[in-house]
Amino acid sequence: MRAGLEPCLARLWRYALVLSRANDAADDLVQATCVRAIERADQFVPGTRLDRWLFAILRSIWLNEIRARKIREGGGFVDADDALSIDGARDIEMNILAGQVLKEIGQLPEAQRETVLLVYAEGYSYAEAAAALSIPIGTVMSRLATARAALTKLK
Amino acid sequence: MTDDDDTELVALIDNELDENRKKALLARLETDERLRERYEALREAGAPISAAFDALLERAPVARLRDAIPPEAAVRQAQGRFAGLALRELAAGIVIGLLAAGAAAWAALSLGLAPLEGKEDWRSAVAEYTDLYTNETFSSQNPDVALQAVELSALNAKVGANLTPDKLVLPGLRFAVAFMLSFEGSPLAAIAYVDPDGAPVMFCINANQAPDAPMRAEQRGDLSLASWSRGGRSYLVIGHVPKEQAVAWAQTLEKRV
Repeated sequence: MRAGLEPCLARLWRYALVLSRANDAADDLVQATCVRAIERADQFVPGTRLDRWLFAILRSIWLNEIRARKIREGGGFVDADDALSIDGARDIEMNILAGQVLKEIGQLPEAQRETVLLVYAEGYSYAEAAAALSIPIGTVMSRLATARAALTKLK
Repeated sequence: MTDDDDTELVALIDNELDENRKKALLARLETDERLRERYEALREAGAPISAAFDALLERAPVARLRDAIPPEAAVRQAQGRFAGLALRELAAGIVIGLLAAGAAAWAALSLGLAPLEGKEDWRSAVAEYTDLYTNETFSSQNPDVALQAVELSALNAKVGANLTPDKLVLPGLRFAVAFMLSFEGSPLAAIAYVDPDGAPVMFCINANQAPDAPMRAEQRGDLSLASWSRGGRSYLVIGHVPKEQAVAWAQTLEKRV
């Protein structure tokens, strides 16, 4: 399981950051996901996608444990403005655009951020996203349309 | 143009529209210039999303995350032991979160303190939730020294301490479990001991950047507290014991941690 986890760490962290918009919570969320995955390794069905299984674990921990705690502590979402950001100047122009897009996505509600990530970055089909999020396909469609509509204002 | 149009246009762009709706929408696009413009705008807006998310991957602290994955053997060993504790531990985390907010608000209201003063009142939050523990809460927890070390290494990473099982040995008490909480955003390590009857005594370390402060003893209801601050961390020993006993344990720990 440990060997399977390592190649997924960056993408798990990205998902955690998109959900929590806080670096420390993202780290905690990935760590908790790894522990839970090791604990439940015998529940993983060989031949199915490990990354999707890990995403489901991460999401469950976020919804049931960490988000609830952060909201109750009143400490969540404080660095929301710049949590989704990038460093470096490898390609300045590309990074400026990417930075603007991420900033805009960072201001969307959690449900939209998550749907946009799963479909546009992780390659989930609408049906797969609907199953992963336990929502109707129509809701996936409207979340993506609302998110894209928000991004059309970036000019 | 409606929100429904946006939904259909985006589904068309994503190649997720069924054949009938696709055909109908393409026919409308041929004749409706405003719809075509909207299609273009939505398509352009979505084009950079994937690359933007890819850029985020480069920020991932992969080495740190990899180092934080615990050894599989340690997880499995701890698994059985924690099965019964998980819910209680989570409940305690939630309770301290609620109490933390409540205690700070209460202190600010009733004493006219600045909000910053609330940060000092983490002892009240710990006291209130220590009151919720019973003689049964931790009495079934009895980790061996190796497992204690695993639990403590997780705490050390969070509060920047160097706790080891031998430093935490206290006369008349047995180490039961170590776990993490937080108070107003600062990590709060908790080590639960039990006395021979199972009564809990807590040793807490709050990485709150407080200035150094000497040992002080307090009585809050039936609870005795002994606390001090050093090196950016505040320490607290708390339990339903005589005040002198709490201070004696605290002095022992102060010399070692």
